[in-house]
Amino acid sequence: MSEPTNRRRVLVHVGAPKTGTSFVQDVLWLNRDALAARGVLYPADRFDEHFLAALDLMDLQWGGLETQAVGAWDRLAQRVRDWPGTAIVSHEILATATKEQVRRALASFGEGADVHVVLSARDLVRQVPAEWQENVKHRRTIGYRRFLDKITDPARDGELASWFWGVQEVPDILDRWGSTLPPEQVHLVTVPRPGAPRDLLWHRFAAVLGLDHDTFAAETSRANPSLGVPETALVRRINKRVNHGVLVNEDYRRLVRELLAHRTLSQRTGSPRLSLPDDVRAWAVELSESWIRELSGRGYDVVGSLDDLRPDPADPAPYADPDAPDEDAVADAAMQSIVTLLEESARLHHDEALMRRERDAAYAELERSRGLWFRVKRRLVRAADDNRVAGFALAVYRRARGR
Amino acid sequence: MSRKVYLHVGAPKTGTTYLQDRLALNQAELARHRVHYPLGVYASQFRPALDLTGMSWGGIGAEVGGEWDKLMRRVRKLDGTVIISHEILAAASPQQIKRVMDDLGETEVHLVYSARDLARQIPAEWQEGIKHRRRGTYKKFVETVMTARRYKPRLWFWQVQGLPDVLSRWSGGLPPSRVHLVTVPHHGASGDVLWERYCDAFGLDPAWAPQDSFRTNVSIGGAEATLIRRLNRRLKQSGLESEPYRALIREIVVHRTLAQRPDMAKVTLPPYAYDFATEVAHEWIEWVEGSGIDVVGDVEDLVPARPPDDEVWADPDRPRRTEMIDAALDALVALALEAGRRPDPEHQLPAKVARAARRIRGS
Amino acid sequence: MTGPVIGRDYDTAVWSWSQHLRGGGSTPWAQWRSGDHDDRPPAGWIPPGAAQLEVVRRAALRRRRPAETAALADVVLSRSGPGRGRAWQPLDWPGAPPRSFGAPAVDPADVPVSELLRVAAGALTELVLRPAGAEPSAPATGRRGLLTRTPPFELAGSPVTTSAVRRELAARGHVEGGRKPTVVLLVEPLDQALAQVWSARVQRGAPVRWPGFVDRWAGRRDLPPSADVAAIAALWAEGVGADRVHVVPGPASVDDAVRSTVAAIGLRPGRPTTAGPARWRDLSPAAVDALRRVNSVLNVRVAEQRRDIARHVARDALAATVTGEGDLHRWTVPEAHRDWVTDRARRLADDLSQGGYAVHGRLDRVVPSAAGLPTQPRSTDVLDVLLGACLHRLSSTSAARPPEGAPRP
Repeated sequence: MSEPTNRRRVLVHVGAPKTGTSFVQDVLWLNRDALAARGVLYPADRFDEHFLAALDLMDLQWGGLETQAVGAWDRLAQRVRDWPGTAIVSHEILATATKEQVRRALASFGEGADVHVVLSARDLVRQVPAEWQENVKHRRTIGYRRFLDKITDPARDGELASWFWGVQEVPDILDRWGSTLPPEQVHLVTVPRPGAPRDLLWHRFAAVLGLDHDTFAAETSRANPSLGVPETALVRRINKRVNHGVLVNEDYRRLVRELLAHRTLSQRTGSPRLSLPDDVRAWAVELSESWIRELSGRGYDVVGSLDDLRPDPADPAPYADPDAPDEDAVADAAMQSIVTLLEESARLHHDEALMRRERDAAYAELERSRGLWFRVKRRLVRAADDNRVAGFALAVYRRARGR
Repeated sequence: MSRKVYLHVGAPKTGTTYLQDRLALNQAELARHRVHYPLGVYASQFRPALDLTGMSWGGIGAEVGGEWDKLMRRVRKLDGTVIISHEILAAASPQQIKRVMDDLGETEVHLVYSARDLARQIPAEWQEGIKHRRRGTYKKFVETVMTARRYKPRLWFWQVQGLPDVLSRWSGGLPPSRVHLVTVPHHGASGDVLWERYCDAFGLDPAWAPQDSFRTNVSIGGAEATLIRRLNRRLKQSGLESEPYRALIREIVVHRTLAQRPDMAKVTLPPYAYDFATEVAHEWIEWVEGSGIDVVGDVEDLVPARPPDDEVWADPDRPRRTEMIDAALDALVALALEAGRRPDPEHQLPAKVARAARRIRGS
Repeated sequence: MTGPVIGRDYDTAVWSWSQHLRGGGSTPWAQWRSGDHDDRPPAGWIPPGAAQLEVVRRAALRRRRPAETAALADVVLSRSGPGRGRAWQPLDWPGAPPRSFGAPAVDPADVPVSELLRVAAGALTELVLRPAGAEPSAPATGRRGLLTRTPPFELAGSPVTTSAVRRELAARGHVEGGRKPTVVLLVEPLDQALAQVWSARVQRGAPVRWPGFVDRWAGRRDLPPSADVAAIAALWAEGVGADRVHVVPGPASVDDAVRSTVAAIGLRPGRPTTAGPARWRDLSPAAVDALRRVNSVLNVRVAEQRRDIARHVARDALAATVTGEGDLHRWTVPEAHRDWVTDRARRLADDLSQGGYAVHGRLDRVVPSAAGLPTQPRSTDVLDVLLGACLHRLSSTSAARPPEGAPRP
C-alpha cells in the first residue's frame, strides 16, 4: 500500500501527566540524531523545548520560565513544516489547550500534513493522588482532602480544578484536540495495570510513534519518582513556610523540588504510597466507567485497552492519610532533609571559598598592572561584595543617583 | 607597682559569657579606674586558657601555642586590678595551676569561682555538649553524672562543676580570704543581682562598666536539643567536617533559628535526680562553711529548688513529635535560605574572574 | 463535530449573539437564547467561551463607535484567554442533555469577574502588540547644560511624586545635576510611598500583585531602596553635608511639592514650556493592576526588547482612561499590615529627625494616617480600565488591523 509520499506526518503527544510522558520525551531527546537519520524529527535544541513551546502557545506563566518561551511555538512549527517526513511534538501541558489554541496549533503545521493526536492515559485512582503530589511539588499548600473536594465538585470552581480536568479529562482532551480530525488519527495509549511487564508501556508508545521499540530502548535516568505519604506531607509543610517571599522560585526549584523531593525524599521507597479514600475511589470508579462508555463510541485507535482505565475497586494496602501522616516518619524525613541541606551548604561554602581565592588572585594581578586609584575603587567594590551592609548602601546610592 | 590579679576560673554556665562580654565592652572605662581585663585581638581569653590547659577543642588547640605566655606578659605590665576570666580554667591540672601561680609570682592573687545549683547545671551542660556535636541521650548523661566519681574526677562535668574539687585544686597556698565564691541566685531574682555579686567579688564599682551586654548564652528546649542530637548522629555517619559544621549548625540552626522559637519546653532535671542534687549541694555547703572562704551571695542558692509536685516533667529524650517536627522545619527553612542565599558560585564568580582576566590580558 | 454541546440550534444562537454583540448590541444571553435566530455560523467556526462573549458585551455597554466595538470583538473572540483560569465554558442551554465531561455550562452574566479580567488583559496585550500609528510617548530626557544658571540639585524619594516634580521643573528649564547639589527628598507617607514603588515596578515590567508586594516587604527589616529615605538621606549627607539635604514630608499635592522644592533649592520661576510625560506615571490602583496583568502576558509573548515598548503603549492607553481628578492617586496597604507600616514609618521619621537635615514640614506626616484610602484595586474597576484602554487603543489607531492570516471569529 502506498501513501502519497509528499504528505508529511505530525504526531502530537498531548498528555496526560504521570503517564510516562517524561520517559518518552527522554528517549526522543537522547536519540534525536538517530531518529532524524530514519526520517523522524524531534525538533528540539534544548531539553525543555516543547515545554516552552506549549507555554508560548497558551500564553502560560510558569514561575518566571515563560520569558524563555517567547516565540518558541513558532520556531517549533517552522521546523515541523520544513521537515518532509514524520515529526513528533510532545508535552503533557498541551492537554489543556482550548479549541481555539488547538486550531492555531494545527494550522501552524501547514497544509500537506496529516496530524495525529496521541494521548496516554492511566486510571483515575492512580492519577488523582499523583496530581496532588505534582501540586505540592509546585509550592502548593492545599491539603489532600480539600484537594479531593475541589476536584470532585462538579462546579469546578477555581484554577486548581480547572487545571486538573484540563490535563486529566480524557474524553474532553480528545474532543478538543481531535474534533477536526478523522478518528483513526486519534490514538489513545493506555498505561497498563500495575503488575504488567515494565516495558509494555514503551512498546505501546513505540508502536504509535512508529519506532522500533528495541532499537530505542528505555535507558533514561530521569525517572520522576514519586514521594510517599509522609514525604509529600513534609514538602507541603515546607511550602507553608517558604512561600510568600521567603524562598524565590529559582531556589525553590533547585533546593526543594530537585534536591529534596527528587533526589533525596524519593529514595525513601519504604513509606506508604498515596492512594484514594474509599468514597473518592467509588466516585473515580463510576467516572471511569462513564469515560469508557463515551470513548468506546468514538472510534479512536486504542493502543492497549480501555479496560486499563478501569480502576481496581479496592486497594490491598490500608489507606494512609496524607493529612494525618505518621509523624515519626515525617520527622525522619525532615532529619534526612536537614542533613542533605547541610551537605549542600557545606559544598557551596567550599566551592565559594575556592572561587574567592581565584578571584582575589585575579584582582591582585590586575592591581599590580594598574594605578593607585583603581586599587581604591576595587577595594570599595570588593568590600561591598563581601560585606552585605556596604553592598546595600552602594546599591541605594546607585539607585538614588539613577533616574 | 601594686597589682591584684583575680583569677575567675569557672564554672561554665554561670553567666560567664555575659560577664566577660560586659567587661570587654567597658574595657576603656574600667582601665581608667585601674581595673584591667586584658584582651588581645580576640574578644575573650579563651585562647590563652586553652593554651594553658592543653585541650584540643576540635582542633583549635593546635593554633594557640604561646597565648598564655602572651597574656602573662601583658599582665606583668599592668598596674592595679587585673581580671583573668575563663570557665575552662576550672579543669586545669595541678601542674598547670602551679605554672599559673609561678607565672604570677609575687602578685596578690585572688581566686573567684561562680557556682549554680546542680538542677540547672546538669541540663545546661548537656545542652552545651549537644551544641558541640555530642550525641548521647539526656538520660545517659544524667546517669553518668550521678555515678561518676567527684573526687579527682575524670568526667568533664565534675572537673569543672565540682565545687570542692575545683577550689581545692586552685586555692592551694591561698588564704581563704582571697578565695571568693559567687553564687548564682535562684530564678526570679533580677538580672542585676548576679552582676552586682561579680562586681563585689572583683572589687569593682558597677558604675565603672555602664554599658550593658546583650549576649546571653542561648538555651534551647528539649525538642530542639533532641533534634540536634539526632542530627549529630547522622552527620557522624556522613562525615561532615568540623569547620563547615561549626559554622552552619551552631550559628544558623542553634543560635539564629532554634533559640528564637517561642514556647520551647525547657530542659530540666529529672525528678529522680533531685535527691542526689540536694545531697551534693549539702556536701558543698558543708565544705564551704568549713573552709572559711569568702561567699558573695548565699550558700543556700546552691540547694536546688524542687518544682511543684503537680508539675509534669517533660523528658527531652521523648519530646512531642509535633514539637520536634516544628523545630526541624524551622531548621530546614533556615538551611534552605542559607543554601539559596549563597550565590551559586558556578554562576557568579567565574564570570567576574573571566572579566578580570580579560582586563589583565589588556583588552 | 462542534463540541460536546449538541445541536445546531445552540451554535446558531451563539453565532448570532456574537454577531449581535459585535455590532454594538448588549442584550443579555438569557434573553437572547430564547429568541428565534437563523443566522448559520460559517463552516469551521469555533464557538467562543462564555467569558469571551461577556467581555464583548461589557464593552458594548460603553456605547462606542461601531468600528471600535467590532474591532475589539474580533480581538477578544479570536483568542481564548491567556494563562490559567477556568477552562473554556460553553453557554448554558436549557434542554441540553447532561454532559458527561467537559467544563460546566454557564450563563455569561454569571462568569466571575476574575475570568473576565483574564480575557480582557489578553485582549489589551494583543492590541498593544499590533503595530499602529501612535508611538509611545518618550519621557522627558532633558540634559543639563554646562553653563546653566540653575543651581545644582538632585531629587529623590517616592517615585511617582518625584517624577512629577522633576517633570514640572524640567518644563521650566531646570534639569537635575551639577556638583555639590542641593538634594530634595520627597517623602510621601510610607504606605503611599510603597504604593508608588509598586506602581513604578509594575511600570517597569513586574507582574506582582499589590497584596503580594506588601507581604514580601512587611516581613523584612529593610525597605525598598526608593522608600528607604533615611538611608538615601544619610548617603547624600555624607557626600554634600546634612545641611544641603532637604526633606519634604507628605506634601499635600504635586504643586505643593514643587513649591517646597523650588524654595529649598532657590530656583527662579522660569518660563513654563510644555514637557513630555513623567517617567513614572500617576496611575490609579486599578490601572496599575491592569498593567501588571498585561506584564504577565507580555513576559511570554514577546522578547525583552519589545516588551518595554509594548508596555509603554499599554501604559499610555491605561493612563488615558484614568481621569486626573485632583492630584495623585492614593491608596494604602491591606489592613493586615497597617500596624507594621505605621511602626516602620515612625522609625523612619525618627531616623530622619536625627539626621540634621532641613525639614520642610512636620516629619510625622511620614506616618500613614487612618484616612480611609482603598487598600487594593477593585476587580470591577480593573475590568473597566482594561476595556477603556482597549477601546482607546482602537480609537487612537485607526490602522489597528489584525495581522495577516489571523482568523476571523
